[in-house]
Amino acid sequence: MSSERRQLIEDDEQPVAVDLGKLREARAADYAIRFAFGAAISIVAGLASLAFGPRVGGLFLAFPAILPATLTLLEKKEGKTKACADASGGVIGAFGLAAFAVVAALLLRTASPALALLAALLVWILVAVGLYFAFRATDLYEKEDRLLRKFE
Amino acid sequence: MSPVLLIAIKALAAGLLVVAFSMVGAVLQPKRFAGIFSAAPAVALASLLLTAAFKGAGSAIPQTTGMIIGSVAMIVYCAVTLFTVDRFRALVGSLTAWLAWFAVAGSLYLVLER
Repeated sequence: MSSERRQLIEDDEQPVAVDLGKLREARAADYAIRFAFGAAISIVAGLASLAFGPRVGGLFLAFPAILPATLTLLEKKEGKTKACADASGGVIGAFGLAAFAVVAALLLRTASPALALLAALLVWILVAVGLYFAFRATDLYEKEDRLLRKFE
Repeated sequence: MSPVLLIAIKALAAGLLVVAFSMVGAVLQPKRFAGIFSAAPAVALASLLLTAAFKGAGSAIPQTTGMIIGSVAMIVYCAVTLFTVDRFRALVGSLTAWLAWFAVAGSLYLVLER
């Protein structure tokens, strides 16, 4: 078994937990980059809405602007294997993002905006976390790794 | 409120929310679980909330239909990054995968919304 594969399995076997010490490891510049990417894509979405209409602008609300910064910083600090693991979680998060959009589209027609978006946010986290544990409980992550990566 | 000022306020709020979700992702383990927060609806939340607050909920609804299409493209994008980041470096792999997002989002938009 490759060291890369072993590292991924060890990481996957960790219990879900919070390590606040990681916040101290992050540099202000890392967050400044993420802020800049987030603000920039929001401006692109706003300008696209003005120029081509709100549906086109809405496309960019789900544009992966932050992932390149996140994956690059993670690869630099913890290696490519951890960056790939983060990207793998991103797939699950993206399913949650789609659920967020569907719930927001439905509830904004009937409920108050704050309530509609709060419900959408709740559905995002429930779908994403639910899928994570479903994948973890089965061997779907291993299948995904074998299918998409170079593991034996 | 002028559209430019609203875009500026949304950009500030989106940047702050992206940082907040990044901080949550940074403290979580394992990495696959933390990765969920890489695809958090930070920009969408800021934009939809402020659009609804300043222009009414009706103005935010068309954005959400566009976002559903963008989300499908995001799922494809993330799946493609698994392949490209593994084969290239993270920066090149994740930027190359943007092509997949544009291809899927553009195609679906043309088929469903035009």
